[in-house]
Amino acid sequence: MTKLENSTMERPFHREHRSTVGTFTSDNPRIVCRSVDVYYGEKHAVQNINIDVGRHQVIALIGPSGCGKSTFLRCLNRMNDTIPDCRVTGDISMDGIAINGPEVDVVPLRAQVGMVFQKPNPFPKSIFENVAYGPRIHGLASNPSDLEEIVENSLRRAGLWDEVKDRLPQPGTGLSGGQQQRLCIARTIAVNPEVILMDEPCSALDPIATAKIEQLIDELRALYTIVIVTHSMQQAARVSQRTAFFHLGHLIEVGETAQVFTNPQHQLTEEYITGRFG
Amino acid sequence: MSDSSHQPLSRGHTHDIVMAGLAKRRSAEKRFRLFGLASIVAGLIFLLVLFVSIIGNGYSAFTYANVALDITFDQAVIDPEGHRNPGTLAAADYDTLWKASLEKLFPDVTGRQQKRALNAFMGFSADKRLKDMVIGDPSLIGTTKTVWLPVDDTIDMLIKGKLGKEEELNERHLLDQAWIKTLQDQNRIRSSFNREFFTNGDSREPEAAGIWGAVTGSALTLLITIGLSLPIGIAAAIYLEEFAPRNRWTDLIEVNINNLAAVPSIVFGLLGLAVFINFFGLPRSSPLVGGLVLTLMTLPVIIIAARSALKSVPPSVREAALGIGASPVQMVFDHVLPLAVPGIMTGAIIGTARALGESAPLLMIGMVAFIVDIPKTFTSAATVLPVQIYLWADSPERAFNERTSAAIMVLLAFLMIMNGFAVYVRRRYERRW
Repeated sequence: MTKLENSTMERPFHREHRSTVGTFTSDNPRIVCRSVDVYYGEKHAVQNINIDVGRHQVIALIGPSGCGKSTFLRCLNRMNDTIPDCRVTGDISMDGIAINGPEVDVVPLRAQVGMVFQKPNPFPKSIFENVAYGPRIHGLASNPSDLEEIVENSLRRAGLWDEVKDRLPQPGTGLSGGQQQRLCIARTIAVNPEVILMDEPCSALDPIATAKIEQLIDELRALYTIVIVTHSMQQAARVSQRTAFFHLGHLIEVGETAQVFTNPQHQLTEEYITGRFG
Repeated sequence: MSDSSHQPLSRGHTHDIVMAGLAKRRSAEKRFRLFGLASIVAGLIFLLVLFVSIIGNGYSAFTYANVALDITFDQAVIDPEGHRNPGTLAAADYDTLWKASLEKLFPDVTGRQQKRALNAFMGFSADKRLKDMVIGDPSLIGTTKTVWLPVDDTIDMLIKGKLGKEEELNERHLLDQAWIKTLQDQNRIRSSFNREFFTNGDSREPEAAGIWGAVTGSALTLLITIGLSLPIGIAAAIYLEEFAPRNRWTDLIEVNINNLAAVPSIVFGLLGLAVFINFFGLPRSSPLVGGLVLTLMTLPVIIIAARSALKSVPPSVREAALGIGASPVQMVFDHVLPLAVPGIMTGAIIGTARALGESAPLLMIGMVAFIVDIPKTFTSAATVLPVQIYLWADSPERAFNERTSAAIMVLLAFLMIMNGFAVYVRRRYERRW
C-alpha cells in the first residue's frame, strides 16, 4: 500500500489535470478525431476529444460508468444521430474523409463501420437471415450461391460455423448468449466493414464465452480496425494494443496498452486501474 | 466492521414480525383472488344470459313452416289462351291455385269472415313459388301435384307456439289453430330450413324478409373501411412514430388523434353528411359513404394501436438494423413492422369490429332506409346489419321479433369470423419467435 501511494505522489499529472495525457496520434491512422464534443441537450457529455485510431489495431476505451466512452464510440458510426437532442461537434474523419458533417450519408458509413452491441441483439429471424441481411440490403451478393458463400465465410470468421452449420434455418434468438454475440459479429463482418465498433461486447456473457470472443477479436485484428469499449481492465489489457482512459467526459490518458497499465502518467488512470474507484 | 452495523434496523426479531403480519397478507391475497374469480363468474353469467336470450329467441327464425297442398295447375287460371307465352305465365294469379286447394281441404268453411281468414293462410311467397315452378317447367300446366308451400307469418308463429298465451289469441287465431290442428293430423305441416332468411333482402312481409341485403351492405361498407383505414392508419402511425420530428406540430397532431378517438360516433355521421354527401355529392345510403364515415371513425383507433405496437418493438432491433447500414425505411419494413404486426392487428380488429357494430353515424347518411334490393355496387343503396336489427326491432309484426334475434346471431357470427381471422394472423406472426 505504502509503495503504491508513493508512486501516485510521483505522477506528473494530478487528479485536477483534465487535458489528454500520452500520445493520442497514430503513425498510420484510420480514424482521426479532433476536438470532438457531444451534447445531450444542455449536458456536455463528451468534451474535446482528440484521438487517432490506428489501422489493424485494437484500441480499448476504458473508464468508469457514465464517463462518455460509449457515447464517443457511437460518434464513429453516427449512431448518436438516432438520439433526439444529441449533438456532435468537431472533426471526425476516416481515411481522410470527414464523416461528421450533415451532408455525409450514414448508410455507406455504417456499412464501412460495423457495430457490435452490449447486449446480443440478433434479429428475430433465422441464423442464415441474420447474416445474409446486411449483404442483401447493400447488394453485395450477385446471386443466391454468392450469398450463401458470404454467410458461410462470415460465420467461419466469427468462429460459429461448426456450431450452427446444421441449423441455419433456425431462429438466431435460440442460440446461447455467447453464440448470439458471435452471430452479431458474423452479421457485422458479412458487410465487409473496415472498422468494427464493439460496445462492451462481453458484459452479458460468461467467462468461457468471453474468452472465445476475445480470441476472435485478436484474430479479426488482421483484417479490421477494432474499437472496443470495455469495463473490464483485464479484457482491455488482453485484447488491445492501445488504451484510452475516459473520465467524466474527458479523455484523460491514451497510449500503448502496456504502458498505460504498467506506467500510467495520470493520477486518475493510476487510481482507476488499481481499482481505487470506478 | 464494528458490531454497530449488525444492529437490527427494527426492534424485535425480523422473523417474528414477518410471521405476525403473514396472516393478514395471506387473507388480503385470498380476498383479492376471490374478487377476481367473482368478477369472472359474473361476466360469464351475463354472457350466458345474453346468449341464451338471443339464441332462445332467434333460433326458430332459421326454420319456417310449410304446408303440403295438392295444387292443380289449372290451364284456365294460368294460361287461358294456351300459347305458353312467358309474359302470360308470369302475369297469372297463382294465389287462386292454392286458395282452391285449401278450400278443397276445408269444404265446411263458409261465410266471408272465415273465407277471408283461409285466404290469408298461406304466405306472401307461395304465389312466387308456384310461378317459378310453372315458368321453369310449363308442362306442369294441367297436372296436379303435391307442393310444399310456406304459410303466412302469423300461422308460422302459431305453429311455433310463439303466440301461445291464451289472452293474446283472438277469434281469428283460434280458427287458424283449428285448421293447423287438422293439417298437422294429416301430416301436411312440416318445418324446413328458412333459406329465404339468408338469401333475401328486407321486406315488409316477415316471411320474405331476409338478412342477405344487410350482410352484403355490411360487407361492402367494411371493405371500404378496412381498405382505407388500415393502410392510412398504419402509414400515419409509422410516420408519426418513426420518422416525424418531435416538435410542437407533431404533439398537436398526437393530442388531436387521441381526442378524435373519443368523439361520439354520430358526430362523424354529421361530418360525413356535410362533406361526402352535401359537398362532394356522393350517393346517399351507399356503402361508399358509409365506409368513408366509418373510416374516419376507425382511423384514430388504428393509429393509436399501431403506434403503441411500434413503440413496444425493442430499440435493440432498430440499433441492430441501423448498425449494419440499413436505411430507416429498411429498418422499419424489414424488422420493426413484422414485430409490430400482432399489436397492429389487434387494434385494427377492435376498430373494425366497432365499425361493424356501428349504426349511429350511418343514420345521418341515410343508411337507415328500408331497402329491399340486395346492394350490388359500392354506390347502390344499402343498409347494414346493426341498422337492420334496429329496423326489425321496431316492426310491429310478431315474426320480426325472432328475426331480430336471428339477425343479432348473424352479426355475432360475423364478428366471430373477423376475430378468428385476427387471431389467426396474430398466431402466424407470433409463431415466428
